Amino acid sequence: MTACVLLAMLAVVPGAGDVGLLPQVAGWKLASPPARYTDENLFEYIDGGAEAFLQFDFQDLVAASYVNAKKIEVTVDIYHHRDADRAFGMYTQERRPGSTKMPGGLEGIAAEDNLQFVAGAYYVKLALPEGGDRSLLPMFARKIAAKIPGRREPPAVLQAFPAKGKQPRAEKLAARDFLGHAFLHDAAAVPYQSDGAHFRLFVVAGKDDSDVRNMVAAYRALAKLAKADVPREGLATLKDPLNGEVLLAWKGRWLWGAVDDPSPQRKTLVDELGRNLFKR
Amino acid sequence: MSNSILERRDFLKIGATGIAASAVAAGCATVAAEQKATPLVSAAPEPPKPTPPAKPAALARRVLGRTGIEVPIVSMGVMNADNPNLVKAALDGGIFLLDTAHGYQDGRNEEMLGTILPGRKRDSFVVCTKVFLKTLDRGTGLFSPQTRGEEVAEKLDISLKRLGLDHVDVLYLHCQSSRGGVLNEVVMAAMAKAKQEGKARFIGVSTHKNEPEVIRAAVEGKIYDVVLTSYNFKQDHHAEVRKAVGEAASSGVGIVAMKTQAGVYWDKEKTQPIDMKAALKWALRDPNVATAIPGFTTLEQLQSDLEVLHDPALSPVERDALQPREIAGLFCQGCEQCLEPCRQNLPIPELMRSYMYGHGYKNRAAAQSLVLALDLPRFPCGDCDACPVVCAKGFDVRERIRDIARLREVPREFLI
Repeated sequence: MTACVLLAMLAVVPGAGDVGLLPQVAGWKLASPPARYTDENLFEYIDGGAEAFLQFDFQDLVAASYVNAKKIEVTVDIYHHRDADRAFGMYTQERRPGSTKMPGGLEGIAAEDNLQFVAGAYYVKLALPEGGDRSLLPMFARKIAAKIPGRREPPAVLQAFPAKGKQPRAEKLAARDFLGHAFLHDAAAVPYQSDGAHFRLFVVAGKDDSDVRNMVAAYRALAKLAKADVPREGLATLKDPLNGEVLLAWKGRWLWGAVDDPSPQRKTLVDELGRNLFKR
Repeated sequence: MSNSILERRDFLKIGATGIAASAVAAGCATVAAEQKATPLVSAAPEPPKPTPPAKPAALARRVLGRTGIEVPIVSMGVMNADNPNLVKAALDGGIFLLDTAHGYQDGRNEEMLGTILPGRKRDSFVVCTKVFLKTLDRGTGLFSPQTRGEEVAEKLDISLKRLGLDHVDVLYLHCQSSRGGVLNEVVMAAMAKAKQEGKARFIGVSTHKNEPEVIRAAVEGKIYDVVLTSYNFKQDHHAEVRKAVGEAASSGVGIVAMKTQAGVYWDKEKTQPIDMKAALKWALRDPNVATAIPGFTTLEQLQSDLEVLHDPALSPVERDALQPREIAGLFCQGCEQCLEPCRQNLPIPELMRSYMYGHGYKNRAAAQSLVLALDLPRFPCGDCDACPVVCAKGFDVRERIRDIARLREVPREFLI
């Protein structure tokens, strides 16, 4: 009852965020009215951790606590991002490689006393006190996910990465400053292991082919290569002062390549990645 | 200027402390700050000192309070960086204090550092991390009675494992906003234990809310060696933060500044970037700040911070670049709550406006015209021992009135 009243009160407050995503759960009530944070005050809630969320176009956060008759408290944080890609991107910043898919097809991570998942444009974090009933968090997750619209799958571009040697569930997205360079934005990188070599393949999505050529030109300048017209498509190896030898290919609105261990295996996989990008 | 109370020569004598001298004072401030930036000496027992990291030439350094650690004035807030190569470049460039937290990127930030640090000489870097205790009420800034001191040790152990180290240099109690939180006995005992066990060489608190209260509480607590505090030119209360920082430094508490870049943009739409170098230099003008930890994620930003490390003086151009928000900070909202308490019935809102003209817009002529039009007593505020006025924006009303009223005596030609 209390939960209903609190939710009803917030539902009429302009700008109250996505409080409608908070489910009603039998036997549980909201401990207090949910709090809402925006990009201007998120740091009050998660301090310096807010910066990473802001990079992924964080919109707002609804933070709530549910409590049951035994005084067990479950905290629910629902982060809303600009779109599903941005929400997934933030999730990849915090996901550890090798995490397993959760029941119900949700992309998430479950530990003893916390659970995180991504659905649509939302990144949701749940937490229990120590020693709490572990089955509670998946139950809350299912109920919240049922209220979230939008896709459940990772960004489509991730399907272009070749399967051979790919580290499972270790993709990482960057909204900006990819590889430590301000001119590289909207990127996805995946770690690979092949014949003892460790490297990452990456894809950068330009706004259009001109945007991509500008990135290549900026990269060439950084590598202190002579100024030259950048063709619409090409392949190059650059000496990146920060990341070492980078294999780079580009065509149309895509820029892709490999970084880290400069092994010969990279070239084959980069070629395959390029073919896959244009097959989709 | 026949009605001037002071002649020109008299004005010139007092000018060094007045508004007309502010530009000169600003130019000198950095030099003075650097001259004052002497190591802070503490009466507290000195812990075993590490071998100082190799010292690159010509990098500005200060001592981090009673820790005795000499740090570069620019350090790295690692929180946004996920590229170990960028951290390596920072270390190679002479930035060797790295600031992270147990919670950043849900632990992956510490893990990323753990791919780099164990391969380096332990005394070649200084690593600071923070633990946030889940029983902290963010609203009140107080810990609940259920707070377990063991949570500090548990989280620190996890952090050490992620970092691949057996100790951190500074362990902060994360996100403090009240005296009660900082002085919580259970938490203090847990922090002190981490230090006694050698898992943290030094301990401290971090704060970005109610900073003066937290800083003073850290001094009061006596066990804290370092405070990490928000400190930037956009804070409405930065003068109070500066005061508290000074008190802490005098007590031997090392001060690290964060959020020096003040939100990166002037506007909500993020179309007007703040001059990052200027903002960083503004914080470093305070000699009591041992180092600042700007976060950077690109090579260009690293290079910019390294430039500040080599040349921290705030130039007049950079000072001007920080001006617009300073004007906003000088803006009197005209609530008039000051009028009734004032025993001299001074037109305080108008005087605050004049102060803004003079100090914000640097339009001394307009400021003087307004002051002259107000028909002030000869010595406004002169008869009051204590000022009963409490400004809603926290302005030191009496100080500002005294300052701006002196403009009446300035010959007009000095103001053009």
